[in-house]
Amino acid sequence: MRVGILGGGQWGQALARLVLAAGHEPWIAYHGEKPPHVLPSTSDPPAVTEACDLILVAVSGARLRESIRMARPHPGNRVVVAGRGIEPGTGVWLTEVVRQECDAVRVGALGGPAPVDEILNGGLCAGVIASPYDEVCKLAVEALHSTRYRVYASADLAGIQLTGATVPVLAALIGMARSLPGAGVGVHAMVLSRGLAETGRLATAIGAEESTLFGLAGVGDLIAVHARRGSPYFEAGVALAEQRPADGPWGIAEALLKLASEHRVELPLTETLLRVQRGGDPVAAIHELMSRQSAREHR
Amino acid sequence: MAERSTPLFQPQPAERWIHDLLRRAQRRLDALDEAERVAVLEDALYQERQRLKREDPVPEEIEALDRLAHALLRDGQREQVDAALTLVARWGDEIHGRFSPRVYRIATRLLPKAITGMLSERPRSLYGLRHWDLNIERRLRVDGDLAFLQQLTREATLILAPTHVSNLDSPLLGLALYKAGLPPFVYGAGLNLFENPLVGWWLRRLGAYTVDRKKRAELYKDTLKDYSVLCLRNGLHSLFFPGGTRCRSGEIESNLKKGLLGTGLEAWQENLEQGVEQPEIYVVPCTLSYELVLEAPTLIDDHLAEVGRQRYIIEDDEFSSPRVVATFFKRLLDLDSPVVCRFGSPLDLVGNPIPRDPVERAEAAKRRRRYVTDRDGKVERDLQRDFRYTDRLTDALVQAYRRDSHIMITHLVARVAWTMLSERRQTDDPFRLVQVEAAGRFLERRALLLRLEKAMKAARQGAQKGRFHHNLPRTATEVLQIALTHFASFHKSRALADHGDDVVIEDPRLCLYYQNRLANLPLEV
Repeated sequence: MRVGILGGGQWGQALARLVLAAGHEPWIAYHGEKPPHVLPSTSDPPAVTEACDLILVAVSGARLRESIRMARPHPGNRVVVAGRGIEPGTGVWLTEVVRQECDAVRVGALGGPAPVDEILNGGLCAGVIASPYDEVCKLAVEALHSTRYRVYASADLAGIQLTGATVPVLAALIGMARSLPGAGVGVHAMVLSRGLAETGRLATAIGAEESTLFGLAGVGDLIAVHARRGSPYFEAGVALAEQRPADGPWGIAEALLKLASEHRVELPLTETLLRVQRGGDPVAAIHELMSRQSAREHR
Repeated sequence: MAERSTPLFQPQPAERWIHDLLRRAQRRLDALDEAERVAVLEDALYQERQRLKREDPVPEEIEALDRLAHALLRDGQREQVDAALTLVARWGDEIHGRFSPRVYRIATRLLPKAITGMLSERPRSLYGLRHWDLNIERRLRVDGDLAFLQQLTREATLILAPTHVSNLDSPLLGLALYKAGLPPFVYGAGLNLFENPLVGWWLRRLGAYTVDRKKRAELYKDTLKDYSVLCLRNGLHSLFFPGGTRCRSGEIESNLKKGLLGTGLEAWQENLEQGVEQPEIYVVPCTLSYELVLEAPTLIDDHLAEVGRQRYIIEDDEFSSPRVVATFFKRLLDLDSPVVCRFGSPLDLVGNPIPRDPVERAEAAKRRRRYVTDRDGKVERDLQRDFRYTDRLTDALVQAYRRDSHIMITHLVARVAWTMLSERRQTDDPFRLVQVEAAGRFLERRALLLRLEKAMKAARQGAQKGRFHHNLPRTATEVLQIALTHFASFHKSRALADHGDDVVIEDPRLCLYYQNRLANLPLEV
């Protein structure tokens, strides 16, 4: 099977390597720098959507709309977005962005840990593909599942996209909290578990399955993102604690807050992160968080 | 011209339709494994025997069921399927409509006058009869891109998918189609309506096929769906109520049934497989908005009692009894109220809009095939995928119903009054609000008018943004006066009534029913 990949960056190349490992033929549509010549690629995205039934999208949420407009997927394509769930700024789910920009409707999302450098170096990993269409899950599993990369299927598209969006925000929060003076594993554990709890409330409100949070796309991805120093999301949080400017998942956090407010769900940790990012004092923000009235752990 | 845009005016012999129905049923039953087949047939046997216990049994029906029971006990697949097909043949003969071009032509001359007469205020004297207002324009307003729809009837098969409010919907839609220059559509009507030989004779000859709400066997429901697929495959424009039954709460429907809508996808894929010349099937959303709904008290009671909400087919409603039908028409003659019928923008079976430009439309039709075909053009069958496509279509229909809905005066006034009551009692629980004692339901007229003015402004702004439609008079005083007159004109109790410096919510259930129509609209009051 020929599998189209939109995006020739590190993540696009890693997906292409996984497709190869599964015994299929990747074809990358790149914009800008050409991927290494061992990976088949083109700068003509419509040619890729025309030639391949399955399209994996490996561009950032901020660039997704433009990429889909350029590639013009058609009704025969099955489009799987391997991104961070939600479009920064608009708060639209990434699969919905695809549907808004073309007439392909069979969409899905790939979630789970994505340690790109490890995958490019032949490391083992696993992911989860979610779609309301069984055939999309089946096709994507076939395209990616190998002894290097285990792929699980799920029908919880909302849950996979929500975890995709919340994991970078939680990673930044943990990075910020860990780097405050006097912080240790206690604050780390608290932010991680309460972060998952607030995501759980939002998951329930939007009709996603809470159990998805505790799978590969939730806890699995979160471990991969924050377990080692150097993760850009974690480091963005560290920079906030040190009151240095940093690029981070702020647009995603804003989109999550907007979504939460539409569903009348409180996200105190995400709000704290944004308050600090907008110039608030990190120590005061965490103090304020700790001063909240005690509540039942599970509501 | 409308007659040329449907094959309904050509002979449709019952034998051919029944033969096609039998072929489809046989193919479906043969495709099942033994356990599935036995389950389907046992269900048919059980459900039919239960039905016959409640009705006068017909000897041929008992004989057919005995044969099926015998085949299930002792015979093999062939005999079992044959016995089931005997049932399907009986059902097919009962379901099949007998459209008559001659009767249609007579009816289209007579019915518009008759129905508008029913919608007009009944004359009280011979003098009044001379001035009886039969002006169809005033009684039924038909909106939408009618020229586009007329064009589409010539190049595709249409499914009309209206909201369902009242038993008056079907005849009014027939009239609206005629007024819009569109051909007649076939539609399923409850078998109980056919029990009156005269009504049944007319209905059958005007394009209705029968739906027996008392037959609950899956095999019967599949036969009905097969009949619908055959109608669409034969190019007969069809009318389905996707809500399944009249909406009890009065809201614009948001939970649509997928069964009959799904037959569109089935028919389209078969059209593509057979390479028919005009394979496209489009869905036209349609909204009917009434100032007053005859059955409002019964419907809202039913809603509040949470009865009948989840049923696929309602067994009995007001129309089951001739006495109720007679009362209905008698009360109908007292109603002086316009109805707005809006045909929305057509959609494909996956919920995408149909381009108006012919070149773009042809291109979209070509692209659309890839939803169900592989790159070689071969149709790939996938029931799970089709179910999701129909989900998308129903979502698009729900959006269209909201966009195309027409804010009526009674709805808006009821909405404002209900909101004020809800704020005063600090609850939006309808069950608590309908029980508020009479003294707590008085609203100061001046406050109501101020609030109404604000709501009218919001309605105008929303309509400008294309979120819905309205045809409200200029001032809040006029709006309130017209609404109070309407509420006083028909129902036994009034939703809202004049009370000096106050306006009182006289019947909170009715007020809830009428305000519910706007509950799903993006309208702040």
